[in-house]
This record gives sequence, C-alpha cells and structure tokens, in this order.
Amino acid sequence: MMANLSNARLRSAASAALALLALHSVSSASSADTFAIQAERVHTGGGQVLKDATVVIADGKIVSILTAGVEAPQGVDVIEHEGDLSAGLIALQDFSGAKGENHDSTRTLMPDADLSHAYHPDHSDFERLLSEGITSIVLAPARASLVGGVTAVVKTHGGRVLKRRAHLQLSLASSSLRHDRFPTSYAGALTEFDERLESEQGAFGEAQAGKLPVVIRADSKHEVQRAVAFAQEHGLKGAIAGASRSGELAASIRDAGLGVIYRPFTLGMESRSLRSVALLAEAKVPFGFGLEAPLRHPASLRLSAAACMRAGLDAKTAWRALTEDAASIAGVESSVGVVAAGKDADLVLWSAEPLDLGSSVVAVYVDGLRAFGGDQ
Amino acid sequence: MKLDRHPLLGVPYHYAPVSHTSPDSGPRSSKNHPAVGGVATALPLAGRVTGRDTQHNQMDVKMHSMHRIATWSRTALFALLPMGNALALGPPTQEEDPVPEAQPSEEAGEALFLRAGRLIIRPGEVLEGGKVLVRGGRIVAVGADLEAPVGVREINGDVICSAFLDPWSALGLSGTAATDTSTSAATRSVDSLDIYSSEHLRLDAVRAGVTTTRAQVGERSAIGGVGAVLRILPGLSTEQAIVLEESNLAAAIGLSKKGRAVGVFDRLKDIDKLVQEIEGGQKYGEDQIEYRYDLEEWQKEIAEKEEELEKDFKKAKKDREKDQKKAEDKGKDFKEKRYKEDKKPKAPRFDSDKEIMARAVDGELCLVVHANRASELRELLKATEEFDRLRLVVVGGTAALYVAEELAERHIPVIVWPAPFGTEGLDEYDGHDLSLAGRLDEAGVEVLIGSGGGANASRDLPLLAGLAIGHGLPREEAFAALTERAAQVFDVADHLGAVEVGNDAELLVLDGEPLVSTTHVQYVVTGGQLAVTPEDR
Repeated sequence: MMANLSNARLRSAASAALALLALHSVSSASSADTFAIQAERVHTGGGQVLKDATVVIADGKIVSILTAGVEAPQGVDVIEHEGDLSAGLIALQDFSGAKGENHDSTRTLMPDADLSHAYHPDHSDFERLLSEGITSIVLAPARASLVGGVTAVVKTHGGRVLKRRAHLQLSLASSSLRHDRFPTSYAGALTEFDERLESEQGAFGEAQAGKLPVVIRADSKHEVQRAVAFAQEHGLKGAIAGASRSGELAASIRDAGLGVIYRPFTLGMESRSLRSVALLAEAKVPFGFGLEAPLRHPASLRLSAAACMRAGLDAKTAWRALTEDAASIAGVESSVGVVAAGKDADLVLWSAEPLDLGSSVVAVYVDGLRAFGGDQ
Repeated sequence: MKLDRHPLLGVPYHYAPVSHTSPDSGPRSSKNHPAVGGVATALPLAGRVTGRDTQHNQMDVKMHSMHRIATWSRTALFALLPMGNALALGPPTQEEDPVPEAQPSEEAGEALFLRAGRLIIRPGEVLEGGKVLVRGGRIVAVGADLEAPVGVREINGDVICSAFLDPWSALGLSGTAATDTSTSAATRSVDSLDIYSSEHLRLDAVRAGVTTTRAQVGERSAIGGVGAVLRILPGLSTEQAIVLEESNLAAAIGLSKKGRAVGVFDRLKDIDKLVQEIEGGQKYGEDQIEYRYDLEEWQKEIAEKEEELEKDFKKAKKDREKDQKKAEDKGKDFKEKRYKEDKKPKAPRFDSDKEIMARAVDGELCLVVHANRASELRELLKATEEFDRLRLVVVGGTAALYVAEELAERHIPVIVWPAPFGTEGLDEYDGHDLSLAGRLDEAGVEVLIGSGGGANASRDLPLLAGLAIGHGLPREEAFAALTERAAQVFDVADHLGAVEVGNDAELLVLDGEPLVSTTHVQYVVTGGQLAVTPEDR
C-alpha cells in the first residue's frame, strides 16, 4: 500500500529557482543527494520537539537541523510536510525476509552462525516494515534456537548491514529446550554455556571478553532470574529478551547492567506484563521491543508502545523504547535512533504525533533515500 | 390474548411477530406482559426499594426477585414479547405494577456531577463546557449551564464521552461459552452469563473505557444463538449486568475448525444450512401467523354461537334435557351436540430454534453472520436478498471490500476486527488488512469495530480502534463505531451510545481526545457507580 504524500510537496518558489540559476557556483555544495525536509513538528529525540524545523540531508546523513525561521541553504530542495517527522523505528528481534534461514532444526548450538547471511533486502517483508515506519531491525535467530548465532542490525531499505555482529543470542527459555535433543534442561544448557564461555573461543569467547554483547531469551519470571544470574556470573553485557514480567525484577536487571527486549504486544496480553514495563522505566532499565515479523504484524511495534503507555508507561520512555534505547540495545546508537547531525537519515514523516496509533506513515526515508510513500 | 401452553413446561407462550421499536418501549420498559403468565417482568434491582416501603414490601420485593430469577430463563424462551421487550429489567409503569421502581433509584447509585472542557454528546456533537448530572445510574441532566446540586460529588475532566461498547466479545460469559460449537438458535448468551468470572479481565476492560459488550455464545458455531448486551463491571448483580437480554441471533460460515481451514464445499454447505434455517424460520413464522388468524376466526365463531345459544337458551336447554332423558330411557350414553366450530385450530408444533429464527427473519433481532471470504460473503448476500425484513450484520468480513457496494446499499454493517495479524493467522483471514475499516467506510459501509469474540481482548478495543484510525478510518467514525453506531445496531440506543437525558450513565472522563493513544481514562461511570478513578490507574 503506497501512501500518498499529499501533504509533502516540493517548494518550488520561482525566486529559489532564479537564485539557483544566478548563483550556480555557490550552490555547488548541494548535489542531487542534498535535500531538506521541513515539518510542523520534528521529534529530534529525548522528548524534544521542534516546531517548523528543517532537517537538511546530504549523502544519506543528517547534516543539520534548522530551527523555525532559518532557511535551508540556497539551491537545496525543501520538502514541506504538514505533520510530524521523527527518526525511524527500530525493531529488536525480527525475522523479516529470513524465513527458513534463521534456524537450523538439526543443531542446537550454532554460536558462530552469522544472521547477516539470512538478510534478504529485496524481500517483500521489508515493504511492510517500512509502511509502519520501521527503518532498522535486528535479525535474530528463530525462537526455537538454543544458541542461534550472532545477530545483525540491518536496514529495511537499501540493503545495508548496519552492524554485522550485534549480539550472541542464547536462550534459557523452556521453549528452546526439547526433550529429543541435547541439552534437555536449564541445567544442561547452563553447563554447556559455561563450558563454551570458559573455552574463550569464537562468539562465546568474544562475549566473555566483553567484545560481543549477549541477548538471552527468557520468558517467565524464573527464567529471567536465571538469565540475569548467569549474565552477572560471567560479567556478560547485553539484554534479556522475552521477559514478560521482568519489571518485577527491575532492580536486579539494572544492577547486572542489562537491558530488556519485550516481546511484541498481542491482543489480550496479560495486564501484569504490560504494567511491568512501567516498573522497568521507573528503575531506568533500558528496553525496546521485539517485533518477530512476519509472524507478527509490523504495526505491533507501535501498538506495543501504546499498550504499555495505557498500562502506565510515560510517553517519553515509550518513544525512546521505539528509537534511541532500541538503538543502544542493538549497539547502533552512533548511527540511528535520533534526529541529529551526523546520524543516518532514517526519517519517518507521520500524519500526526507518532506515538498515537491513529497517526499514519506518510513517507519513509532510509539513508536519505525515499523508501516508502511520497508522490514520486 | 389467548395463550397456549407449552406441552412440556406448561409455561404460557405466544408468538407475536411484531413491529419494531417504539421510542418509549425499550427493553427496560417492557411491562408485566401477559405472555409471561403473571411472572412480573419488572425486576427490581435486588434490595433496592424506595424509602417509603415497609419491611413487608421489601420482603415482597425479595421474594419477587427470587421467583423471577428462578423463572426468567425459561419464560424468556417461550415468552416472545413484542419488539424485543424480552424479560425486561426495567421498571413497571405505575399504572401497571405497584412494585417499587426497578430503575436504579436515587439511593441505588451515587449522584455525580461531571464537568467537561468538551462534552462529546454523540459523534459529531460537542458541547463546550458541558455538564452532566447522573443519578441512580441514569443521565438526568445535560447542559452547559447546569449547577451542581448541593452535596453531590463533582468530577472535572478535559473530555467526557460515552463509554465504549464492544460489539464482538464474549466478556461477561462463562469460560467456554464463546467457543461452544453445539449451540443452536435458541441458545441464549444470558444463560451463560457469569457475573463472577474473570473479574480481572472485566476490570481491565472497564479501566480501558469498555463498559459494555455484545457477548455471544457459540461465536464460531454454525448457529451461535442469541447474543446479549452486558455491562461487565465486576460486582454488579445479574440484573444490573444485563442491558439487553436478546440483542441478536448469530451464525458463522466458512470458519476454520480446530485451527484448520475447511474446504470450499463444506463452506458452501454452511451457507446452504444457514439459508435452510432462515427459510425454516420464515415458514414457522408464517404458520404461526396463520394459526393466530385461524384461532381468532374460531374464537369469533364460538362467540357468535354462544350468542345464538343465549338467545335460544330456554329452547335449547329444553331440547337438551329432552335428549338427555331420551338417552337415559334407552340406556344409552348422552352425546352432546357438536358444532363444527368446536374444532379448535391446532397450534403448529413448538420449536424454540425456529421461533428465534422467525424473529430474526422478521427483523426483530438482527442476524449477525461471521463470514470472511469473498465467495462466502457474496453467496450470503445473494441468498438473503429475498428476506427483506432480515437485518444482516457481517462479522469479520476480511474480503468485504469486494461486496462493499452491496453492503452499503443494503445498509448491512460490518464488524471489523483490526487485529495485527502476522503470517500465522487462520486461513479465512488471508488478505486481512488493517486498512479494511477505513476502506469500507470510504465505500459507504457502516463500520463497527470489535475485539474478535474472545473474552480477553475487549480491554484492547480502543487500541484496535486506534490501529483502524492509523490505517485510514476517520477518527470520528471510529468513535461512532464504539459508541452510538454499535448501540443502534444492537438495539440499545435508548440506553447507550450518547450522553443524553434518560440514557444509562455509561460515561468516560478523559484527559484528552478519545481513542488517542496518549489519552488516559481518568474516570469511568458504569452500572450506577463511579467505577474507576485516577487512583486506580
């Protein structure tokens, strides 16, 4: 579904065109890759909203943000958007375009499987992610995996792998333990993990050395406790994924220096889990949301934040969970998650306040290229 | 009116195909109808009596309620009251019944005075600085110039509007009622009403602003039975929980069974079966009308004969005595002279399922059909075309866009489920798209939004509405879908859906516009109570 960029249009004032002709040499700074977007509200990050600001983009990066009243450099095309502009959303734990490639049913332990090999940038799944304003995802192993490999952060348009070795993904969730394959118990899994960490080889070795963060899947509360204790024992950094009631363990997660990746919201999800998110926020534990598309609808990402807000999460933290905190957990905060000079131009044009489910995606830019929506 | 007795239960019943709603006869106001054989239908909310009542009187009320509870379900089966008056919870009018007022009286519920920055009276009608006075669970005054009565609790908020009705739910019913597939037309949702079940789910839904549901048993059953509109706040009595006991009849076609898709021929069979049921109901209704006509004719003839006999009474008496004597003399049995008019018309065989279906065919109850694929929707529309009083409502309608024109033309509403399905959805949801509600609305189809028929998702109805808005449904249409339009489709617009004097006080006080994700529900008024306050959040 292509949205119509009816409220974003090229400013084609005759004067600007004349100026461009007259001062050709001056405008040499602006190439075809240079343009600007002016929006009624620019959500830069950290809860800051600039009115009528202009974001200048060159070569796929944000060059500057001009506050209201400051004109874009001459010769730079300005797209005017009646609505909101924000950084693209980031889904932690996703399977888009990787069907059948993110899981090996015959092997339990594949620490060196590289999920970037499962990236299929032309897959139609990505179009659906873009239509919901998602510009980066963490490609993760299937949920049945015990040690599924090393995750990769990829863009939803343009085929760029943003970070190749993001985390070593482990699981201590009962759904990854099967009676017909080794190991069959929590204890068996932990013993195996311990041994591999001590061997200091491959991805486990990197994790042990603090060079590679981990993501540990743990669904129920006792699994979270077990995962936190395990991470603390080995000094591992990273995040717990799944973690439905982890807010009730917020202090110990914070003390272990870990983040949390929530599973996407589903209809009827228990209120206790939703309320638990607000507890994490209170304890200042960074968290983001998994998406698990295409098994889940990409709209589930923003829906997760909305459901948590209704259960008491403040709007500012909810927005960070969709953008900058998710970027930190994915280890890509230097490139994405906020609208700031020097960051990737991953931008979403919304019809209204992006945290409101009632707003819709008008257009999406990834690395400065329009990836979804718009007139052209 | 002549009553017949059901052969098994001895409960009087009658069939009365009837005209639709008159403004003053909502479900609450149905009276001590003769059809229920003297079981007073006025159901005082237990223990609620007006101040002047004596102890004796209160006892009466109690006994009355107990009697009522014992008999209500079977009476309702057979007592088919005019215009969905079924078993009313409501008060009798003074002329008809001296029983104390059944409406929540002043003592029954807290009086509240609500003050809004913006009072949304109904979709599209806003009163800036509006105020609402609530007493006994009813809205008793609405206006911008109202003054708070002395001693009444006052509540202030940015926005006040009607609470939401989930038109596709099972919340309020006991556990497995929604998934029961052994139901038939006469199965009644209220018979599975469980005011003690899943309290936390119900409270969560109320906190989210959803205070009423159209709860349906056998939601995926070929014929689901009779749905009901329920108030879901925990702690209400059975009587308080029921807004409308019979809101619709439900059916389903082409749904997956046990998670597996059914083949195309079985799906066609589903439609044939439904159409047969509808035809059966129609025939039954016609037979009943014919019977009533014959009965009337017969009664008239009997009356004429009686008159004639009266005139010739003396002669007739003498003749009879003579005949009697003659028979006695001859040692024979005396035979009364028989008149052919004595042959009383025989009532058609009672069939509770057909009886309900007859009411649906007659348009008294709407027929809610869960159907998704284009072929099923098309066949359903084709097969029901000839039943011009039938009020069809489509539930699901994944592919309804293909038949949007006809749906709009025939004013058939669609209850859309804007759930964020991934690739793991059931077969009939193939092609499901969050833009469905918006596109149907654009095509002129009346859109409702439901949470999907389970008990646990009613809480999330406002979020689903948010998704529908974000994918093309105008915000005001989404609000209408959750309030006034839902109330109209399920015949409870005289209770719910608009902030109007006389309506039930089912109200939300919000800190922002309704259905905006960043807006919080601050207060909820439902069932005569201030059920949620900001401290509960």
